[in-house]
Amino acid sequence: MKHLLISATAVLTMLFSGAALADGETIAVFTKNQTNPYFQAVRVGSETAAKSLGVKVIQYIPTKPDSIPEQLSQVEDVIVKKPDAIVFIPVDYKAMVPAVEKINAAGIPVVNITDRSAAGKFVAFVGADDYSIGLATARALLKAIGGKGNVIILEGVKGSLTNTDRVRGFNDALKESPNVKLLASQPANYQRLQALQVMENLMQSFPSIDGVLAANDPMAVGAIEALEGANRKARVIGINGSKEAVELIKAGKLLASGDFNGFIQGCVGTEIAVRSLRKQPTPNEVILKPIVIDSTNLTPYETPVEQRACPTLEQIVSN
Amino acid sequence: MLARPRLALSRDVAQAAYRLLAAALLCAMLAMLSDVFLTTSNIFNVLRQTSLLFLMASGLTLVILTAGLDLSVGANIGLSACLAATAIKGADSPMLGVATGIGCGALIGLANGILVTALRIPSFIATYGVMWMLAGMTYYYMAGDTIHGFPPGFRQLGSGYLLGVPMPVYVMLVFLLIGTLFAQRTTWGQQIYAIGANPVAARLSGVPVERRLILVYTVSGAMAGLASLIVLARINSAQGDIGEDLTLPAIAAVLVGGTSLFGGYGTVAGTLIGALILTLVLNGMNLLQINSSWQPLVTGVIILLAVWIDNRTRRIGE
Amino acid sequence: MSMPSLAQLPMSVARVPGVAIVLVVLSAIFALTSPGFASPANIANILTQSTILLLLALPMTVIIMTEGLDLSMGAVLTFASIVLAITVLASGSPVLGFFAALAVGSCFGLANGLLIAVLDIPPFITTLGTLGVAQGLSLLATDGQSVVGIPRSIENIYSGALAGIPLPVIIAAIAYCGTHALLYHTRFGTYVFALGGNREALKMAGISVRGVLIRAYVLGGLMAGFAALLMTARLNSAHPTAGIGMEFDAIAAVAVGGTSFERGNGWLLGTLLGVVAVGVLRNGLNLLAVRSSAQVACIGALVIIALFIDGLRAEP
Repeated sequence: MKHLLISATAVLTMLFSGAALADGETIAVFTKNQTNPYFQAVRVGSETAAKSLGVKVIQYIPTKPDSIPEQLSQVEDVIVKKPDAIVFIPVDYKAMVPAVEKINAAGIPVVNITDRSAAGKFVAFVGADDYSIGLATARALLKAIGGKGNVIILEGVKGSLTNTDRVRGFNDALKESPNVKLLASQPANYQRLQALQVMENLMQSFPSIDGVLAANDPMAVGAIEALEGANRKARVIGINGSKEAVELIKAGKLLASGDFNGFIQGCVGTEIAVRSLRKQPTPNEVILKPIVIDSTNLTPYETPVEQRACPTLEQIVSN
Repeated sequence: MLARPRLALSRDVAQAAYRLLAAALLCAMLAMLSDVFLTTSNIFNVLRQTSLLFLMASGLTLVILTAGLDLSVGANIGLSACLAATAIKGADSPMLGVATGIGCGALIGLANGILVTALRIPSFIATYGVMWMLAGMTYYYMAGDTIHGFPPGFRQLGSGYLLGVPMPVYVMLVFLLIGTLFAQRTTWGQQIYAIGANPVAARLSGVPVERRLILVYTVSGAMAGLASLIVLARINSAQGDIGEDLTLPAIAAVLVGGTSLFGGYGTVAGTLIGALILTLVLNGMNLLQINSSWQPLVTGVIILLAVWIDNRTRRIGE
Repeated sequence: MSMPSLAQLPMSVARVPGVAIVLVVLSAIFALTSPGFASPANIANILTQSTILLLLALPMTVIIMTEGLDLSMGAVLTFASIVLAITVLASGSPVLGFFAALAVGSCFGLANGLLIAVLDIPPFITTLGTLGVAQGLSLLATDGQSVVGIPRSIENIYSGALAGIPLPVIIAAIAYCGTHALLYHTRFGTYVFALGGNREALKMAGISVRGVLIRAYVLGGLMAGFAALLMTARLNSAHPTAGIGMEFDAIAAVAVGGTSFERGNGWLLGTLLGVVAVGVLRNGLNLLAVRSSAQVACIGALVIIALFIDGLRAEP
């Protein structure tokens, strides 16, 4: 029994690694899960910004991916610790409103990034315009297939705001090309294995597919694997601008990927939080411009996020 | 030498017959509703998807035969896949990757077995705890990153063809054969059935219960490791959440296949039919473009139907 | 009929259960290493955050004591919360919504009970099936979207307090007392104790085993419906993924608390301690800002350690 207590204490002490206190402000950053590279990029961005600004960042991620009650509990626990500021990605933009209200009631300044929360007081919102990214990336594909042919949409998670807006962008781009036919629009939950199997099944029903509009990169990768496995060709686009996508664009297998830049959002969100603490002026909203990454503008995206430097707020806002 | 009770034979036959009938009916219905169902490429799709589910569920069948449960299958696949992916890319060696995947899976299974036998923790809880620990390890190891792009030789395992038939089908058939021979024809297999049917009697007959249980969990883990390789080969990448939604479908495949949770009754072949039925349902829903929100509901109803039919046929056998 | 005091004996013997050790150790460690942990506000937080899980774990204890399992609770909770939200929005009456949630929960509970008791389908599979049905209905009713626009009066149920004690804690305490009374002071409770591990004796005594089972599962569904009220209040909305996986957490809490799957001996207080232990662990790790992957691993370790300790104490 004593051995157990001692070893239990030892184990728990070792886990302190994340908790050392530092001088400077503390920013709590909330992301949705531990596995999606997009959120990892946000976290890296926040930490890069923190280092250059002399503040400390603590990451809060639910142990069950995308868990609404857990993120709520984490917010409640964090409020007890009273961080100086919070950078917040809500797991669900509607259901997390009570959490934001609690943060507001505690008087902690909070910056909203990525998914625009349905309500609540924020210092600023930093995001990308999912609709414009979807529109621009879809237009790139439609141009590549010459404005005619058959197209499939692979949707993400139903109920997710980014998904709704991106798919809306896809559909509006399709409206501009009357000679292009939308064969099917099916969800694959932003997952690559699901996208692979959905694509395989769709290829049975539709012998001729010219283009695939995938709402994120993992699904685009799944679609590409399905096409290659069946020895069929189609142009595929994704959204995220991930490392994988960049390599596939280089290899010619992926046509383009919409730059939904988690790194920059993490950087800018943290910068704004720090500026508001230091009583410096901050913008209300930063919407990143939609950029479509293809073979012509690859180079800056080839650097891994860990090695990139944060753009300054001025650089972003002036663009 | 322990023999399975004779009277189970007619129940076996009735159960297998009903299941094959159900699968055949499903196929007939889908063939009528969709004109692309019976095409070669779709049949291969179904078989490929079935083989993945079957491989995950085959080792699990043995565990359930001993009246145990392995909730860590999905998390096992996740960690094994990520470690195997590192080995393949890092050492540029598919063989090392295969060894890592299966080895990691087996080690996890071994850990489960030890928790259940030596520490006497109920399998539901032990594997639930292991599931969380594996998930934590996977998240820590992958740190939100992905590993992608494996050598074509390795990817043949998932997307290649041999004599016109997809590779995973061969893997499935091989393990169907091995699993069935092991369960029905070896002493160890007979002992596993005995442990499930009546652990006290088995022990009194001289069956080394603890060693067989450890074996069974290790095999279940190794099969999860193997399944993770097929997943890697198919999607050509690894991410921390690969195994997340795979455990319950694997368990469902075993149960729909007729294996009893109380132990001592069921077959590996039954699990294959169970996996086939579940895959047919999903394939059909995709082909018919049915709203994906219906999927959990339909799957739930199928599970209930399968077990209800079992009950009726149990009456026939007795 | 004599009260089931015999069944309580093993626990009242002076061998401290694993869950109690774990709870004390964890609380001590966190109190020493984290300044805010022992504050009244934080303790209130822990208790409040544990209430929904407790509402599920209480009937789960009863069900496990009948050698059964209910995997559908999380999904039923979710669907009930959606029905609650939709009813409130349509009728403007929170009370009607609450009763709708209770009705939905009870229906699923009844379905579970009938399938298990009458059709003789094993509980694991039955509730796996009803899980799918409930989840499917949740998705179909909402198409993946949150249901919002619920009046504040419902939210106050979660955030309100009475004499300084948070309302959810009061509700959970009432639920605990009710379940305790049901289990230890009613005939039904005696039957539940008798059912686990000795079903034949009950049958021979002429008691309807079916009746006991059905009532146990209806209790589960009813409590899931009740918990739906707290969940909806907490989120101020209903979401089709809100309760996913909670039944596994409830089962783990019950097992950590000392109720056994096989022998059917149950300890309700143990369940309470198990739920609080999980709450303490999660809260403490958050306060210490332990990295998320380590948190995930710790949860698994907690479960295994608690049962390991129990295994050391158990009869050979």
